[in-house]
Amino acid sequence: MSAATGYHEEEILGKAYDASLMRRLLKYTRPYRWVIVLAVLLLVINALLATSLAFITKTGIDDHIMTGKMEGFANLALLYMGIIIVFLLASYAQIYVTVWLGQKVQHDIRMQLFRHLQRLHLSFYDRNPVGRMVTRVTNDVNTLNELFSSGVVNIIGDVLMLVFFVAALVYVNWKLALVTFVSLPLLIVATFVFRARARDAYRVVRLKVARLNAFVQEHITGMSIVQLFTREKATYGKFDDINRDLRGAHFRSVVYYAVFYPTVEIIGALSVGLLFYYGGRMINMGTLSYGELVLFIYLVERFFHPIRDLSEKYNILQASMASSERIFKLLDTPPQITDRLDAREPTQFRGGLDVKNLWFAYKGEDWVLRDVSFSVAPGEKVAIVGATGAGKTSLISLLYRFYDYQKGSISVDGTDIRDYPVESLRSLMGLVLQDVYIFSGDYARNVRLRRTDISDEAVRQALQRVGFNRFIRSREGAIHTEVKERGATLSTGQKQLLSFARALAFDPGILILDEATSSVDTETETLIQKALDELLKGRTSIIIAHRLSTIEKADKIVVLHHGQLREMGKHEELLKKGGIYHKLYQLQYKKQDISADSQAAVAGG
Amino acid sequence: MTTDSRISNDSKRQFSTVTKYLRKYRGYLYAGGVAVVMANALILVVPYVSKLVFDALEAGRPDSVILRYVAIAFGLAVLSGVFRFAMRRTIIWMSRYIEYDLRGEIFAHLLALSPSFYHGTRTGDLMARMTNDLEAVRQMLGPGIMYISDTIIKLTVSFAVMVYLSPRLTLYAVIPLIILPVAVNKIGNLLHRRSMRVQEKFSEVTATAQENLAGIRVVKAYRQEEPEIENFGKLSTDYIRLNMALARLQGLFIPSMRLLASASYLVVFYFGGMEIMRNELSLGDIVAFFGYLAMILWPMVAIGWVTSLYQRGKASLERINRILFTPPDVSDGDGSNYGEPMKGKIEFKNLSFGYNGHRVLENVNLTVQPGQTIGLVGMTGSGKTTLVSILARLYRVDDGRVFIDDIDINQWKLAALRRQIGFATQEPFLFSDTVAENIRFGRDVSGIDEITRTAEIAALAKDVDSFRDGYDTVVGERGITLSGGQKQRTAIARAILGRPSILIFDDVTSSVDTETEHQINERIKQVLSRRTSIIISHRVSSVKDADVILYLDEGKIAEQGSHEQLMRLNGSYAELYRSQLLEMELEQL
Repeated sequence: MSAATGYHEEEILGKAYDASLMRRLLKYTRPYRWVIVLAVLLLVINALLATSLAFITKTGIDDHIMTGKMEGFANLALLYMGIIIVFLLASYAQIYVTVWLGQKVQHDIRMQLFRHLQRLHLSFYDRNPVGRMVTRVTNDVNTLNELFSSGVVNIIGDVLMLVFFVAALVYVNWKLALVTFVSLPLLIVATFVFRARARDAYRVVRLKVARLNAFVQEHITGMSIVQLFTREKATYGKFDDINRDLRGAHFRSVVYYAVFYPTVEIIGALSVGLLFYYGGRMINMGTLSYGELVLFIYLVERFFHPIRDLSEKYNILQASMASSERIFKLLDTPPQITDRLDAREPTQFRGGLDVKNLWFAYKGEDWVLRDVSFSVAPGEKVAIVGATGAGKTSLISLLYRFYDYQKGSISVDGTDIRDYPVESLRSLMGLVLQDVYIFSGDYARNVRLRRTDISDEAVRQALQRVGFNRFIRSREGAIHTEVKERGATLSTGQKQLLSFARALAFDPGILILDEATSSVDTETETLIQKALDELLKGRTSIIIAHRLSTIEKADKIVVLHHGQLREMGKHEELLKKGGIYHKLYQLQYKKQDISADSQAAVAGG
Repeated sequence: MTTDSRISNDSKRQFSTVTKYLRKYRGYLYAGGVAVVMANALILVVPYVSKLVFDALEAGRPDSVILRYVAIAFGLAVLSGVFRFAMRRTIIWMSRYIEYDLRGEIFAHLLALSPSFYHGTRTGDLMARMTNDLEAVRQMLGPGIMYISDTIIKLTVSFAVMVYLSPRLTLYAVIPLIILPVAVNKIGNLLHRRSMRVQEKFSEVTATAQENLAGIRVVKAYRQEEPEIENFGKLSTDYIRLNMALARLQGLFIPSMRLLASASYLVVFYFGGMEIMRNELSLGDIVAFFGYLAMILWPMVAIGWVTSLYQRGKASLERINRILFTPPDVSDGDGSNYGEPMKGKIEFKNLSFGYNGHRVLENVNLTVQPGQTIGLVGMTGSGKTTLVSILARLYRVDDGRVFIDDIDINQWKLAALRRQIGFATQEPFLFSDTVAENIRFGRDVSGIDEITRTAEIAALAKDVDSFRDGYDTVVGERGITLSGGQKQRTAIARAILGRPSILIFDDVTSSVDTETEHQINERIKQVLSRRTSIIISHRVSSVKDADVILYLDEGKIAEQGSHEQLMRLNGSYAELYRSQLLEMELEQL
């Protein structure tokens, strides 16, 4: 899976080992200490059993085959079989336990990450593409899983195996063991030289692959430009350079492998050859038995595997260091919108709202809102109007504490919103965004979200009150009609109604609404207006209004212009004033007025 | 892999994509075949030599005889190693050549395919074809061919020698191993199914995280963090449960392979041992048997593995072919002698056009004389971009509908036509290259002077001068990221460089502020005065001075005339003009 991380991913190939990262990673295994102990124990058993098989072979040859003593030979064979079976069970258990460990750790890290992401402030989300964070939670965590399930434990296993084999060889005949070990330095040097080369070659290949993919993706995206400017030939020429480059890099890597594998085999052959020669001599001299020679042959063949495996663990280690660095970086980003230590629950909710000398900037001194003040009495409906970029959306984001403002204050029922716990503040309010976000699932999922205390009946009622039920064909199970990702199967109007139903089901004390600008057909428009009335009934509401009808019904209109509150009042008074509102009206709302008369309402501008 | 007679016609067609390359590189293939045979022939002698060593020892022959045998075996191993090197160097090497060629073929084909193809295909899918699928095809041709030939030869030779040594013992030893290829295939299929399930769950985890993070505003506004965490936790738990199910099977794989191998070893050990005691076999025979068993173990497993390489490779090849077998829908005309320089007369005759069953243009009739400037306005989706795209032959239209210099557009050579059209598209796509290269783009010959002059006209020069590396500044990912307006102005410069006969500006000033736009309009006047130009804009100010202004409404020309004429008409255009005046006033408040 780690190799499949996209070409768009950051190409970090850092150190293979970083002690502080490793320490932090190992902390995640602490709850599973005993599992690691068990895994190591199983590994010891495995190594012991594997070694003992060699001794059985030896005994069989020396005590039975060569002497012709038949009795007991069958028992020995049975013992061999028994050991194989235990060995099988033990290795199975060992694999299972290590995989389990990897999965557990993976789950823990993934959940910690996800939980952390839920707490992070919105400005973090503004700056970081969603795709990158998804990669952290998915691919990066999976890479770590590989480290735990096949990396750490198997390294211990390989080393143990080697130790046991060496001990057995030395125990049986230390002189012959020394002969065997002669080729060992050769093997180690060959392996490490190869690993270093192969790693460099691999890195070059990855780099070239990334370059090629970036090139191809860029040119697929800009294909029409390439064609319009008849750049096909030149583009192909550039592509071919990169493609050829990649081929060259692959060739280099092929040669390394082509040299390495035969080299290992030849070193192995050298080892076995020496064994045969010196072993044969010892047999001729009578200092070695046939069984012991076969035991040596048996073990030497298995000797090479752990060494080769060990060098392969390097790649896993390297990939997981890079992934963990990215993961920890995300985990170390502190959430900025948090509860104050002395935050207290709202006591009696009335729904009054005060905005006083409010200043806000997303960055530095680029003020998006300047010195804005107005107040909303409990139950009052306030419409906010203004041209694009006037600061309307920023203003309502602040009410919700998606961001914290720099100067001034916003208070609900006389208490600054930063003095409430964030949860409690948000529980007072309901938000309907202009760009309605629809989750995949069904209608009910989108109305109640994941709240279990909103019953099917409540969902049904909410849907009915906003008039959504006319889109539902059958009665039963209708609220469980499937909805595709991002509401692909729903019309814009339906999505809006669904988000109204959502707000209604949550029954907030203060409603904050960003009206959609997109146009819908007349029939849906009527539905939406009715649903809006239903939604606003008896609630303090703050609405970024695009509908004339909404504005006309408002108790108060706040006109924002370039971040400042420029006019405030009722529709008629503001029109008479002939200022900004008057212009806005002519530009955006007048058309609705005329068309409303002619019974062909088109919403928005 | 499959016998010729069994390959159906379709299969043949599918494989034709790679067989031509196998033919091209047959030299490597033949050499590789020789290397495989030699490498195996040589190494397979070695276990037999080990038998000779043991027999010699038992016969009490001197050390020098042993040394000779050992030297022979080592020599064989070294030679075999050389051939083994040659085997990779030829077959794997060849697979990299084919990968290179095939990738080139795909990309060349992509360069020829028209926008209609790209509308219906996601970039991600195309990328997957060029990466994962291509690799699967390569593996089928490289490691696939190498391992299957290696396996066949190894098995044949080993069996022959083993049967020669002892037919009965061979039979015993092979019984447990027979299960291997079958088991590998069976377990392999099961493993595949389970890992598919893991993959599906992984996609679900990814999709859920994606949805949650993309909808974080709703999640936070409705305080759904905790339930979302809980739900994600359930998913993650499911995911690890499926992973464990996979591991339970996977964990069985290697130990049971070892079990079968050991069983086979044990059989040889026990029955062989008995036969030695009955003096029917020598110890050397058994040692040789052990050697052969060790050698055929991997090939047995490889049979199952190679089968899946083949299956995956074939499926990937089919996906790649879906690109290669799609013909480009705009083909080159035969009008090699149609004129350069183009005069720039454009004519639409009763043109109707649509795609995906959706009407975009209806009965468009229009004649543009050389040197005229046409302004094109209308709502989003009214067909403006489609109309100008047709001029550059990005879409295929029927014969007899669109003419340039009185020649049917379908008869024009694509290159000749496009070279003389300067097109600044709505989306000012720039490539991650220097500013100079992005402006020079279509025209290889332009010197830097001409580029700076053009940048001056597009009101870009001042911006570029402020960049540290000037015209050598790399735009895009790693370099400086240009603002939307700067990108658009680069695209304008790119379009007017090289003095094309027809200029098309598709809403190129939408991200440029009014003042800069005014500058561009002033400077570009002289460029426009000498060529046919079509200017699409949302701003009336950009088209006001055009010779003819068209107001498009749902694919039809609703209003047509000069600014004054259209204002007198007092229709949609006039309304658009007035509301934009109002907007400007508001902006200045």
